[in-house]
Amino acid sequence: MTVADEHGPERSDDDLVAAEYVLGVLAAEERAAAARRIETEPDFAHLVEHWEAHLAPMAGAYEAVEPPVNAKSVIDARLFGTEPAAQEKAGLWSSLAFWRGVAVAALLAFGTYVALTYTSLPFGSQPLEEQRFVASLAHDDTDVRYLAIYDSTKRDVALSHVSGARPDGRDFELWAIEGDRPPVSLGVIPVGSSVHVALSEALGAAIDAGAVFAITTEPLGGSPSGEPTGPVVALGDLRDI
Amino acid sequence: MTPDEITKLIFRTALRERAAFDLLYRHTSAKLFGVCLRVLKDRAEAEEALQDVYVKIWTKADRFAATDLSPITWLVAVARNHAIDKLRARKAPAAELDEAQAVADPMPNPESMAEAGSERRRIDACLGELETDRATAVRGAYLNGDSYAELAARFDVPLNTMRTWLRRSLLKLRECLER
Repeated sequence: MTVADEHGPERSDDDLVAAEYVLGVLAAEERAAAARRIETEPDFAHLVEHWEAHLAPMAGAYEAVEPPVNAKSVIDARLFGTEPAAQEKAGLWSSLAFWRGVAVAALLAFGTYVALTYTSLPFGSQPLEEQRFVASLAHDDTDVRYLAIYDSTKRDVALSHVSGARPDGRDFELWAIEGDRPPVSLGVIPVGSSVHVALSEALGAAIDAGAVFAITTEPLGGSPSGEPTGPVVALGDLRDI
Repeated sequence: MTPDEITKLIFRTALRERAAFDLLYRHTSAKLFGVCLRVLKDRAEAEEALQDVYVKIWTKADRFAATDLSPITWLVAVARNHAIDKLRARKAPAAELDEAQAVADPMPNPESMAEAGSERRRIDACLGELETDRATAVRGAYLNGDSYAELAARFDVPLNTMRTWLRRSLLKLRECLER
């Protein structure tokens, strides 16, 4: 008797291949084939995701082990081309005094940016966390998905395009909706994987008061009437995570 | 750090904020290094794998928004899948496999059971409904990345038999988890 005989039609075979991929038992070529399918077949990717969620509690058995202290600098060098000189000072990397020294010097030299990078230090991430809200803008009926991060002190909305193309000859327009009031346009979302939209003081106040973001498709250049005319393709509450 | 906080860090990483990426590394690298080490059982290889994993996390952080997985589940999946791919890519001599088996702890110890969350107790209970050797095979495959070929050799059964065992076990396991 074959496996297929026992488990019925082919469609359940995908489910089992997804399970085997997540469990980790497949041979190299089978894993590579499954990984390609995850990239190209959303239904298969979904099956894999379900199995990841089912089996994830087993991962609790992985003991945390501190990686070597210079591992992050190697990663940074690979990603951002950080000065290789940093690696030659491996001995210094484990010294807290060195880190404090670096952070203070860097703070003086480069202002707040560097301070935010070394967040274990007193002048660190706290103010940053308090001023920011994050939302995933999505809708069940579409594959349009954006990440939105709102910085209330700068009144800046950073949008990262995750998935879903705008239809030909249409633009995505961003709206803020506060309670029962009519939606207020924040403008057409510029094309790009990561864009910023600046808000007026009034809009900033509306967002602070709990307005939600919505994205509609509109004619090129945005809604002619100033009110949304196209369908909502993504929606999200900034506080809702 | 709460799951919501890790979610925010991944989202901010997707927006190319290095400060968020640094924090994410600080709070998650020990867990992910533990994953790489357990699967690869070689410190140098695990270190290299960990670098690859965080390079992937930086470049693919926006993918997280498209999943419904918890942030730690997503991060562990990135690390596990990469480590298992590396494991498959190397030709392991039989001696190393025996060693790997000795390192594995097929059953959770009472202490880790006690501190485990309810989800983990639940999956342990469901694994407990499987025949002992099959539960051991499922756990070993998940935690150590054992392949069908290795498991078949260890349990001294044909590869197709092992495949049938594990497929049935996985379906039973899911049925129990969804009960």
